[in-house]
Amino acid sequence: MRALRRILKRLRSWATTQQDEERLLAEIEEHLALQTEDNIRCGMSLADARRQAVLKFGAQDAVKESYRHQRGIPFLETLVRDIRYSLRRLRMTPAFTVTTILTLALGIGASTSIFTMTYAVLMKSLAVASPGELYRLGKEARCCYWGGYAQDKEFSLVSYDLYKHFRDNTSGFAELAAFQASEELFGVRRAGATKEAHSYPGEFVSGNYFKMFGIEPYTGRSLTPQDDQPGATPVAVMSYRLWQQAYGSDPSVINSVFNLNDRPFIVVGITPPSFFGDSLRTTPPDFFLPLNTEPAMEGDLYKIDNHWLDLIGRIRPGVKPASIEAQMRVELKQWLRSHWDDMSATERAKFPEQTLFLMPGGAGITSIRDQYEHWLHILIMVSAFVLLIVCANVANLMLVRGMERRRLTSLSMALGARASRLVAEAVTESILLSLIGGAVGLAVAFAATRLILHFAFPTVNGMAAVPISASPSIPVLLFAFITSTLTGLLFGIAPAWMASRADPLESLRGANRSTARFGLMPRKLLVVLQAALSLVLLSVSGLLIAALHSLENEDFGFGQDHRIVVSLNPRLAGYNFPQLTRLYQRLKDSISSIPGVSAVALCTYSPLSGKNWAGGMWIDGHPAPGPEDDNLAFWDRVTAGYFPAVGQPILKGRTISGQDTATSPHVAVINQAFAKKFFHNEDPIGKHFGQHGLGSEREYEVIGIAADARYVSRDIGMSVTPFFFLPEAQHDFLPKDAAVDANPGSHFLHDIVIVSRPGSNLSSAQLREAIASVDPDLPVISIRPMNEQVAAQFTQQRLIARLTSLLGVLSLLLASIGLYGVTAYNAARRAGEISVRVALGAHRSHIVRLVLRGGFILVFWGLFIGLPLTFAAGRFLGSQLYGVNPYNPAVTLSAVAMLALSGLAASLIPALRASLTSPLEVLRVE
Amino acid sequence: MKDKKDVLQGTLALMALKTLDVLGPLHGYAIARRIEQISGDLLSVNQGTLYPVLLKLEQEGSIASEWGASENNRKARFYRLTRAGRKHLSVETRDWEETSAIIGRFFALKATDLK
Repeated sequence: MRALRRILKRLRSWATTQQDEERLLAEIEEHLALQTEDNIRCGMSLADARRQAVLKFGAQDAVKESYRHQRGIPFLETLVRDIRYSLRRLRMTPAFTVTTILTLALGIGASTSIFTMTYAVLMKSLAVASPGELYRLGKEARCCYWGGYAQDKEFSLVSYDLYKHFRDNTSGFAELAAFQASEELFGVRRAGATKEAHSYPGEFVSGNYFKMFGIEPYTGRSLTPQDDQPGATPVAVMSYRLWQQAYGSDPSVINSVFNLNDRPFIVVGITPPSFFGDSLRTTPPDFFLPLNTEPAMEGDLYKIDNHWLDLIGRIRPGVKPASIEAQMRVELKQWLRSHWDDMSATERAKFPEQTLFLMPGGAGITSIRDQYEHWLHILIMVSAFVLLIVCANVANLMLVRGMERRRLTSLSMALGARASRLVAEAVTESILLSLIGGAVGLAVAFAATRLILHFAFPTVNGMAAVPISASPSIPVLLFAFITSTLTGLLFGIAPAWMASRADPLESLRGANRSTARFGLMPRKLLVVLQAALSLVLLSVSGLLIAALHSLENEDFGFGQDHRIVVSLNPRLAGYNFPQLTRLYQRLKDSISSIPGVSAVALCTYSPLSGKNWAGGMWIDGHPAPGPEDDNLAFWDRVTAGYFPAVGQPILKGRTISGQDTATSPHVAVINQAFAKKFFHNEDPIGKHFGQHGLGSEREYEVIGIAADARYVSRDIGMSVTPFFFLPEAQHDFLPKDAAVDANPGSHFLHDIVIVSRPGSNLSSAQLREAIASVDPDLPVISIRPMNEQVAAQFTQQRLIARLTSLLGVLSLLLASIGLYGVTAYNAARRAGEISVRVALGAHRSHIVRLVLRGGFILVFWGLFIGLPLTFAAGRFLGSQLYGVNPYNPAVTLSAVAMLALSGLAASLIPALRASLTSPLEVLRVE
Repeated sequence: MKDKKDVLQGTLALMALKTLDVLGPLHGYAIARRIEQISGDLLSVNQGTLYPVLLKLEQEGSIASEWGASENNRKARFYRLTRAGRKHLSVETRDWEETSAIIGRFFALKATDLK
């Protein structure tokens, strides 16, 4: 108690230092005066009395010292004094301070911004109650549909039937929820509103979805299991974002009717602002609909072997996830067994290997994570390199500073300063610098993150942005703080240690005239390290740029110029199959009538739009594929006139035309890769194949071969995948049941390819008008030139290449500054020697060579160490280079050349300056 | 050395407290004089060491101080014992008496006593 009071008092008196000091002085003065008076009374002379009083009082300074020690908090006081002293010293050398802080800010800013992204994408949990209790099905995020009774590697998507089986039998889950794996757009129109339909992303979820996540609605109510019953009133929950942005937080939205794909839903609640669904997606869903409303739209729900749902469950406290996993594996086998009669021979053969995995699900389903993980790792490595270079550079600056202060340090030591005090001072200064640098770095990081987000996830008009915030969060702030403190310690300790080791006598005696180049070795090593690291960064960015370049300039096999792709979705306007062919014809006619349009065609998905249909091929006259055989091919459904419109030549046979109607024989055009993979050396024209299993081999007749063109964005950098094209007007039917349409969804053609005449200028308003004249309810999702659609496939690569080159140039700049510093310092130290040489008749060019040689030896060593590292980095990049040779000599050579050139520039300046010094002046100063 | 100083400081604090207890509010010089008179040698030199001790006591709350006028009308800082200080003093006095009694008994110890 007493001790506590004392500390408080000490703290208070620390704040009132000045007053206390005065008080003590006054008391001492008074004490002495009284003693003197007493002494005079005893008969001493005035002078003697005073002298005796002072003697009796004892050492005043010792009393003061002890008094001060008692009064304040010495440690804090010293710290504050050190900080104040450091600030003063930093203010005295603004050039040094600004350079250091900027260097640090760039390094810390770059790494913090990369960390922000990494944290958001790789580590952050969903904004839900106790994310640690959540477990999801599947090791990898899988998109989006999977048919049949066997899945490769693991069962990660489930059908509604299988979901119910798991939900009703797995006791370890407090709640097990299912939701749609694919992203889906809905044509949305508020009932009674006059505005045209707008498309927003939505998701079908089970009734316990919100309960499982522990999410309370922002307002209204959330979905309940009662809503998710066949025949229940269709209800929906809207996202906070859409409610706020599109409806101005209008409370009347609750309980009002919205038409989604022309079907009425009552919006019963709004999600909380922080909730962005079950997955980190570029476009988070705006509507959550009960699973049981799905049959009214597409009808996947009751298909027992159509797997399109992801699962996340909240486990009961104390239950081991491993035991739930084991239980679910048994349940899966039970379920498969119960459908044994429906399984194909292949699926039966694959039965024993069917298994599933339960993974921590607190972060949700993580397709963005899978997509970006590798890139983020590369970026983290790169920014760590930059941070290292920054540390080296600042350490260099600090070393110079330390050496310039050597006389001061020596003097302090000679006067009795303890080494620990000197080290503490230097470390205080460097930590102070790095903290300021960290603060500025945070601002840099904020700006950089916004920029990266803008490039990485371009916002689609009217839709939610990717739910990653650029503003620093607690972990990010912590990261920046720890990084800057560590940086400060890292670059501060070496110079401080060197300062404390200085022998006072030695340096005082040798000051200015010493020829010993004390402490130059560590600085040289740092410069060599910097040069090596920036060589690595330069060649990595060179490789990435080369890869991007070769990707972008690949011949994709279709025309990009004068072509516009309009995306829409007839399903969103409630069209049914019989109306579709007529709708497409009317759209074609309407758009063709715009002046300047030379061709129009529709297809399910245009090339490199990011979406495709795919299936397993059964070739007539060939043995049926075994369970392990790869018989995958991608396909597209197109209208007549598609091939000329998209600029893909037909090499052999005929094209799909108006004569291919619903009643005519079913035909297909295949690409060269398809012909090569499935027909080998035969002539494919007139041959048959199918994609619906045994009995479907005569489904399509091959009528033509189209040149290879790249449709699938996943295989960019590899050879073109087998692909075939089917006429829009023809429907596929299951071999088992000729009344069931096998691929109804493929008849909803999403893309219109429009070719304009050279020189004509089509505006999107004209196109919208032409489409609205056919049907005003048809929502247009996007209108963009074909080359923009293609370029969008390389956003990631371009972003990474740009970021890496930016960081590479930054590191080169830093390394050059470092080299310049060392060379200049070295030249300045040798000023005396150089003067003597000049005085003795050395030529200027000789002096330039002398100084240049010093700089170039460092660059050479940098190359020597950097080159093997460069090759290692190329190997690490490997598959990200899309076939560009990781040991690309052109890239390596240009990186070497850039390093050498900046090395030359950095050491030429001090060399020229050294050669121009007047020997007389230098020698006179000495 | 250090220990001895600590003992000195401790006893000095006790002496200052006792002085204030007996004589009422006093300024620093007066306290030093009284201690000198009673203890003889202890404060005949280094009277200044009293002031850090007074500061420590004040921080602990055993004494309080305020400016006042001395007998010959000089501005002086007067110290007085607080209630907490009185309690502190009585506890310390008892402790001291107990300790010195024990120490005294030990010093009075003869070899025969332990047989």
